[in-house]
Amino acid sequence: MTDRLSEREVRDRLRLIEDMITEGRRATEHWGWAFVLWGAAYYIALAWSTVGQSAWAWPVTIIAASLVTAAVASRKAGEHPRTTVGRAIGSIWVALGMSMFVLFLALGLSGRLTDPHLFIAVASAILGMANGASGLLLRWKLQGACAAVWWIAAAASCFGTETQSLVVFLAAIFIGQIAFGVYGMIADNQARKRHRAHDDPAHA
Amino acid sequence: MPDLPELDPVIHGRLRLALLSLLSGVEDAEFAWLRAKTSATDGNLGAQLLKLEEAGYVAVAKMFVRRKPQTRYRLTDRGRQALRNYVRALKQLLGSAIDS
Repeated sequence: MTDRLSEREVRDRLRLIEDMITEGRRATEHWGWAFVLWGAAYYIALAWSTVGQSAWAWPVTIIAASLVTAAVASRKAGEHPRTTVGRAIGSIWVALGMSMFVLFLALGLSGRLTDPHLFIAVASAILGMANGASGLLLRWKLQGACAAVWWIAAAASCFGTETQSLVVFLAAIFIGQIAFGVYGMIADNQARKRHRAHDDPAHA
Repeated sequence: MPDLPELDPVIHGRLRLALLSLLSGVEDAEFAWLRAKTSATDGNLGAQLLKLEEAGYVAVAKMFVRRKPQTRYRLTDRGRQALRNYVRALKQLLGSAIDS
């Protein structure tokens, strides 16, 4: 080929470039824990607002969960590279949090949040939107399925009794947050182990 | 026979090539992440990144995150173009090998 580089070396270098680019793009942050945390937060807020009949249950729980998420995320931020996809997905979830907080706080303060069906339908639809957008960005069918669960919950909660709506919401939280989050954490863990085992060091 | 392309000596080092390729897939990355992905030693990694920085292929930002020093690297436009040219040159070399 040339006196400097054999054909095998050229192919080897092209493979190295391809592998490293793929490695960088694969470097999205791991958010399984956040799904579990927020699933637990929804359960706490629901229990508090139902049993304790407190108007502060949702705002206080949401603010507390946001603070914990921000603290853990900032701790993890340094470990991962910043990617455009990661920033896009992060923006979707931050915008979702802001939308839900502003909307439900205003509805609660104005006294117009009187129909639990409406609350569950709107919250589920917004969660479906965020999961759907993330799933499409990551081309992740499982998250797309989570979005479908939320959309079904949004539609189903418009019908039936308040108790039936609540049961639908509790089931959607379990599937879309807790089960999906736990699966995400297990998958991240396995991927990390696989990576360590297959790491192909690049030497100068 | 067409002239064979010159390969950029700055990128030609295997670790430097791996670093530029890694950085081309992200917006920026921390020193520790690059070290983990390349399995290079701190000294070697630092030296190769310095060479890339001197060539204007990567830009470095030093900051403190939660009171800990952090050094983040990103690929510059010049670095991206250099990597593109390098890949083009490799493909040209491969093409000439297949033709001959």
